[in-house]
Amino acid sequence: MPAIVRVVDLVKNYYMGTQTVNVLKGLNLTFEEGDFVALMGPSGSGKSTLLNVLGCLDRPTSGAYYLGDVNVAQMGDDQLSEVRSTYLGFIFQSYNLLPQYTVVENIELPLLYQGIKLDEATKERCVKLAEMVGLSDRLDHRPLQLSGGQQQRVAIARSLVNDPHLILGDEPTGNLDTKTSVEIMQMLRTLNRSGKTIIMVTHENDIAEWARRVIRLRDGRVESDTRNDNRATA
Amino acid sequence: MNSISETPSQTNVLLIALVGLFVVVLVLIGVAQLRRNGIGAKLQRSIDLAVKSLWLHKLRSVLSVLGIIIGTSSVIALMAFGEGSMQDALDDIRRQGATNIIVRSVKPSDDSATAQRSYVTTYGLVKRDIDRIETIGDSILRIVPLRVFPTEARFLERLVNARVIGTTPEYADVHKFELSSGRFLTDLDERDRKNVCVLGSEAADKLFPFEDPVGRSVLMRTFDFTVVGVIRDRMPTGGTGGSQAAEEYNRDIYVPLNTTVARFGEVISVRTAGSRVNEKVQYNQVTITVSDIDKVRPVGDSIKAILEQEHGYKKDWVVTIPLDKLEEAERAKTRFTSLLVLIASISLVVGGIGIMNIMLATVTERTREIGIRRALGAKQKDITLQFLVEAVVQTTIGGLCGVVLGLVMVYTVPYVWSLFATTPLPAKIHVPAIFLSLFVSIGVGVLFGWYPARRAARLDPIEALRHD
Repeated sequence: MPAIVRVVDLVKNYYMGTQTVNVLKGLNLTFEEGDFVALMGPSGSGKSTLLNVLGCLDRPTSGAYYLGDVNVAQMGDDQLSEVRSTYLGFIFQSYNLLPQYTVVENIELPLLYQGIKLDEATKERCVKLAEMVGLSDRLDHRPLQLSGGQQQRVAIARSLVNDPHLILGDEPTGNLDTKTSVEIMQMLRTLNRSGKTIIMVTHENDIAEWARRVIRLRDGRVESDTRNDNRATA
Repeated sequence: MNSISETPSQTNVLLIALVGLFVVVLVLIGVAQLRRNGIGAKLQRSIDLAVKSLWLHKLRSVLSVLGIIIGTSSVIALMAFGEGSMQDALDDIRRQGATNIIVRSVKPSDDSATAQRSYVTTYGLVKRDIDRIETIGDSILRIVPLRVFPTEARFLERLVNARVIGTTPEYADVHKFELSSGRFLTDLDERDRKNVCVLGSEAADKLFPFEDPVGRSVLMRTFDFTVVGVIRDRMPTGGTGGSQAAEEYNRDIYVPLNTTVARFGEVISVRTAGSRVNEKVQYNQVTITVSDIDKVRPVGDSIKAILEQEHGYKKDWVVTIPLDKLEEAERAKTRFTSLLVLIASISLVVGGIGIMNIMLATVTERTREIGIRRALGAKQKDITLQFLVEAVVQTTIGGLCGVVLGLVMVYTVPYVWSLFATTPLPAKIHVPAIFLSLFVSIGVGVLFGWYPARRAARLDPIEALRHD
């Protein structure tokens, strides 16, 4: 399978006053199209920083980040926004829906920043996505009227609306109970089976088991990189 | 003339409506034009968004634009009242006539200059002065002398303390008044020293509350005067300038100048606080009308020179040039207007600071929302636009509310004022002030919304997402 994401000698330093914190110490990773990856590691291992860099929310201190064939590592702020808007989908631990918007409006949000004219066609598309995640009877509800699992499903629908190359999850089940977590993971697996590339951060082993590939980070380096084909293909 | 001093006139309302309509059409065309291009959709979406989020915090939005509302409305109201009273003063001077020169007899403050002691004080303008003024030449259109006698006028048991003014028929041209019935004095009256009189509206009302005064006779001193005309109600002249007393024309009674000399003689008796003072004044006032506004000053100077020669050290005359006062009043109006604009800009700046304060609080409160939007692909300029539009929408709505409130004040305050005060509060809507204050309040939105909007846009998306 072709590589969709490639990082080469990725280094990320934070500067706190006079102190330099070396978070990522030269990572080399390749992610293939259609893969489902779980990033794991103790806190401070750099997994969140890596996800931020992969999500084009942060720029690496040095090294290259190829998204497709393009090195996005040294892009400007506007270009990065465009990359996020066109190629990436986000799912957050705390859902991050806008409380003043309805379900459909929340799903529609990424399209707003693509400069697309929002009309009946785009709305229909959002409604379809809401139906896909099982919220066809909640279209005009606001996030606070929904349960955590339902909110996360809205977030998944939102992450799909721009038809992204890559979906990034930041502990997508972190705030959910076991039963709901399973529902969400099943949904992500279905998405992955339909061809979406997913990279998610988690610190729960049973969640990581849903992924095809598990990468463990420690102190800014890759500790292990394993495939758990047994369940992912099951 | 009257309408200016009481309520804003109809034409003003029409003008505002027209200009308002024009602006609305312009905005609609602008929006349509923008919508055809790509930016339009984005801008419209931003406006929708702004209205939505302002609606979410109704009370806060209202409070934050209160400064703008108060600023705009007070500018409009203050300008209207300022314009109104200034207009009043200007009209007053115009009524006196910009091409007129008014020479008055004044009692000299110090008799030692004349070194004369008698029971009859003699002072003021005499026939010889008028003859000499006439020699100035063609630039003088007419010379209207007048004598004033404070006298009781009676009809049957009714009495009025009137001011009898002896003057020539041309007086009517100088003061541009209208008659409600009958005619003014004529040359024939003057020549034949007829016992006729023309009543001011108030004098007529008091003496003849029920009947038509024309044709009746009024008793003044020991003579009967036949009423030949009544003058329509006139605006009194305010006491502009130190030398000129306020004139209440409506209680005046006009008689031919020659008749006054023949019937009442040259001595004017004035009753002051129980004692009687006899004064000998030939003419109390002479109004000289000049053909051209440019000739007012040179003729005025000539008149002064003549009077100085004739009267020597006796300062018993004073020359008033309404044109001078007109120009002075116009200068005062300009100063006044710029002062108001200054006050306006201060209050709008204060309002703008209020907006900025709230916008900064909003940005802090909505940091997470900003982070979410950024993560989903919003560029810095999208965020800037969003918050800027929000600020501008606020100040624009505030400005519009202010305009409405200001207009309401302009129409209602003079009425309420009239219930408590005796003097009217004139108001005249100042149309440029409306648009100026509206544009300034929109400008305030841009100016004071810019910094919070930029601050929102520059937030680090990761930090913003972590914020709670």
